[in-house]
Amino acid sequence: MRLSPQARSQLRRFRSLKRGYGSFLILAVLSVVALLAEIFVGNRPLLVKYNGHLFIPTYGSIHPGTDFGRDYAYETDYRALKVSFAKEGKGNWIIMPPVPYGPNENCYPGEAFNPRPPDASARHYLGTDQINRDILARLLYGLRNSLIFSVGFVCLVYLIGVTIGCAMGYFGGWFDLGMQRFIEIWSLIPFLLVVIIFRAALPQGTSFGLGLLLFVVVMFAWTGMTYYMRSATYREKSRDYVAAAQVLGAGPFRVLFHHILPNILSILVTFLPFTCSAAIGSLTALDYLGFGLPPPMPSWGELLRQGTSNLDAPWIVASAFSALSIVLILITFVGEAIREAFDPKKFTIYR
Amino acid sequence: MNPGSRIRMKDKRNLVLASIAGAAILLGGCGKSSVDTAQAAAPADTSAKPANAFPGLDADMQRTFKEESSFYKFKTAADFVADTKGLNWEDGAGLPSFADPAAKKGGTLTIPIPDFPGTLRSIGPNSNASFREFLADYTLPALVRFNPNAPGKIEPELAVAWAVDRPSKTVYFKLDPDAKWSDGIPFTSDDVLFNWYLFRSPLLNDPWLNDYYHKTFAAFTIYDAHTFSVTLTEVRPDIVARIGDPDAAMPLYPKHFFKDFGPDWAQKYDWRIMPTTGAYTIKEEDIRRTTSITLSHVKDWWAENKPWAKGRFNPDKIRLSVIRDPDKTIEAFFHGDLDVFPSNSLSSQVWYTKFPDSQPTIASGFTVKTTFYNQLPPPDWGLWINTAKPPLDNLDVRLGVEFATNFALVCQQYFRGDAVLQQTDDDGYGWDVNPNVRPRPFDPAKARAYFAKAGFTQQGSDGVLANAKGERLSFTITTTYKRYLDILIILKQEALKAGLEFNIEALDETTGFQKELEKKHDISFGCFNRPADMYPRFWETDSGDNAYDVPYLPDHSPNPARKLKTSTNNLYSLADYDLDQIIKAYDKTETMDEVKVLAAKAEQRFFDDAVWVNGWKLPFFRSAYRPWVKWPKDFCAMQARDTFQHWGMWIDEDEKKADLALLDEGKTLPRQILIYDKFKQP
Repeated sequence: MRLSPQARSQLRRFRSLKRGYGSFLILAVLSVVALLAEIFVGNRPLLVKYNGHLFIPTYGSIHPGTDFGRDYAYETDYRALKVSFAKEGKGNWIIMPPVPYGPNENCYPGEAFNPRPPDASARHYLGTDQINRDILARLLYGLRNSLIFSVGFVCLVYLIGVTIGCAMGYFGGWFDLGMQRFIEIWSLIPFLLVVIIFRAALPQGTSFGLGLLLFVVVMFAWTGMTYYMRSATYREKSRDYVAAAQVLGAGPFRVLFHHILPNILSILVTFLPFTCSAAIGSLTALDYLGFGLPPPMPSWGELLRQGTSNLDAPWIVASAFSALSIVLILITFVGEAIREAFDPKKFTIYR
Repeated sequence: MNPGSRIRMKDKRNLVLASIAGAAILLGGCGKSSVDTAQAAAPADTSAKPANAFPGLDADMQRTFKEESSFYKFKTAADFVADTKGLNWEDGAGLPSFADPAAKKGGTLTIPIPDFPGTLRSIGPNSNASFREFLADYTLPALVRFNPNAPGKIEPELAVAWAVDRPSKTVYFKLDPDAKWSDGIPFTSDDVLFNWYLFRSPLLNDPWLNDYYHKTFAAFTIYDAHTFSVTLTEVRPDIVARIGDPDAAMPLYPKHFFKDFGPDWAQKYDWRIMPTTGAYTIKEEDIRRTTSITLSHVKDWWAENKPWAKGRFNPDKIRLSVIRDPDKTIEAFFHGDLDVFPSNSLSSQVWYTKFPDSQPTIASGFTVKTTFYNQLPPPDWGLWINTAKPPLDNLDVRLGVEFATNFALVCQQYFRGDAVLQQTDDDGYGWDVNPNVRPRPFDPAKARAYFAKAGFTQQGSDGVLANAKGERLSFTITTTYKRYLDILIILKQEALKAGLEFNIEALDETTGFQKELEKKHDISFGCFNRPADMYPRFWETDSGDNAYDVPYLPDHSPNPARKLKTSTNNLYSLADYDLDQIIKAYDKTETMDEVKVLAAKAEQRFFDDAVWVNGWKLPFFRSAYRPWVKWPKDFCAMQARDTFQHWGMWIDEDEKKADLALLDEGKTLPRQILIYDKFKQP
């Protein structure tokens, strides 16, 4: 894809803003780590050598204990297996991820359910939560859920908001008037209450996973983008190139998406990071109240809630709060840098 | 043509139209909405009473007595002497009292409640459960009561003597002539008559009460102001308690208070202060909306020196302070704002993390920690399997679920060893219901064997078993108990070892109960609280009549055309013909020996049906309070469910002054960590 010269200079300017660009790189690394979470944090090993065969259990079906010579049919306890292999000394080995705990497993199966403080020697770098699950694992897998949610959120909100907003600006008249009134009324509906009602009123048997939650949240969040798209489209519509395209016989949607939209892309890009942080914020808020992802899916809001009711185990709330703050601050830096990169004014005084 | 100018003209027209539309909306918003007018006109009651307006309480009572003249009988004092000739009168004298007769009267006790009550009523729709304990369940006298230290023995409250006539299934009562309401009006049999009318009236909006008072009683006879009799439909071992004890029946309400009873009585009576025969009443000025309610001791209480009340109901005032957040409640208690911390909020987690011996106020003696072992039927926590949902109708699948559920781990590790598994579905009635029935242990291998028998042999890539058709062994556990979500997560993890998948569905109370009562759940996690009866109840939860409308064909096999019955407690949708026959016979037993034999049979059959997975029970409850709150020698009665049930505590004002003075000086009081295990079961 060839970028226009303007876009290329904006990109160059973005790269020169150290703080924003650095935050962007950190976020990119975090996202990659979160998407490939099983390699860094997980209770499944990266590589197993057993009786001369190599296994890669990290992704894919479970390996029951019988696959590795144990006598149980459920998923192998790889940490115990590692110890057994070392003892047996038959030349079998396991490479576990750096943090060998899953987000949903009880790390202390024989002992009381108690939050435990961070312990580097046991590789619980952020401690465990109130039912013995590793916090770092829950943070990372929770980050993955948040990222998937926010990518989905941004895509859907932009798709709906941009289409409707641009259509309002382009067609004007009764359509614009009607949609504006509808959007005003729709955006007054208290979003949190509706999510709660939705949860309660769903037909029995529907599982309220990530997808359905996304749908409900997007239903009340798409209205934000329409205001900007509408005014930007109105402005662009009065320019000559639009008239030229219309005279050439271009239909309304071609004019909108092929001619007008590339020129108002900067608005979208500027809002992108803030929409992301809004998504992460909404998901965390819903999970904190208990109306978000169903248990036991890992999420930051759920960790925050555990943390606030276990303040004598401060590492829980400290981890969740720090992680949330850091990610949102990084996103804000990126957003600021993008805004500055797209600002036509490079200097505040005339040079 | 410049598109810009076209827009401008359109804008003008649009503006005019928009302002006309806006004006129309504004004007339309004024004036009463149709919804409001409709609601004001129609009565709130949804019972079957048709267009006839309610004629007033007295007139309606007269009409009911005439219509049901076979139930309501009116006789004279002379008839009473004749009817009760030769009967053996009991007065419950000489029973042990758990209270301390030397208890000091006076003082104010401050207790937290989680929410401001929605109504002062203790009867009718939405009569608040946690507040009504203080105003009715624990303080409003009934006719008689089971002595909580001598189960099965009855002691008097409003009735001073009673006599049973087994052949005619009638119990005769003599009321205490001293009994009066807190506004001075005497308590007479007219009040008792009114109560029977009330509980049988459909206007009450309580179908369970209506049902109980129609099914259990055959007649009510009033003789004079202090004598009456009740005829039951059957003679059971606890015949007197079925009439009088509030755990089995109801406390009694004043007739003169309910003079405005009618179709929408509930709303009228939401905030009216009811006169009471009990020790505590409320003053109008003590109701502080959303902040607190204070109960005041009735002046010149008629029962002050009665044997059953001696040493009880000691504080002058009970202030119920609204604190919504559980963590805040704990902080308020340690700060000294509260006198007693309710046992219902002292879960094992809270006990061990927030109330350790090293906690500053406990170490300084400002807080006393107590564990009290009690003996009564525990709430039947566990997994309730709905047999109406395939493949849970297959016994092998249910047996697999039983062996795949690890409540033992929950007892040991979640409750830190405080809890034990319930041995049978009916523990705590004073005898071992069936020594052959014991909980099934957690055994993934056995569970897999049962699942294999049911056809679930292939283990999928995520560890969950599937059958040849590809159906996964996955069930949804529905619960309204969000505070126990962690337990379900533990069970889910453990069940995966047996190839069984549990999906957890936590709903809010209204939606969740509705789903369960409509029998739409796969498995339900919860319990029913059980009253301290003399013997267990089977019919409500285990009988086929409560599962289906027509459960069986004439040859006793399941009726394929049967429809589920909703709004019953049979969450298992269990319809087992043999069990039903045992229950039918059980409900006709007349002596405790017969009860025990049939209960053992029923328990065995129920166990074989494998519809309930044994959950946990706690053999004690815990308490925390200030050192100047004193208790009787054995702390509470044997069958106490929580700290406030029997009101045996009192406040020692002198000690309070002395203790506070000492603490102000910076000194400490002796540390008190108490365990009362007199009633501990081996």
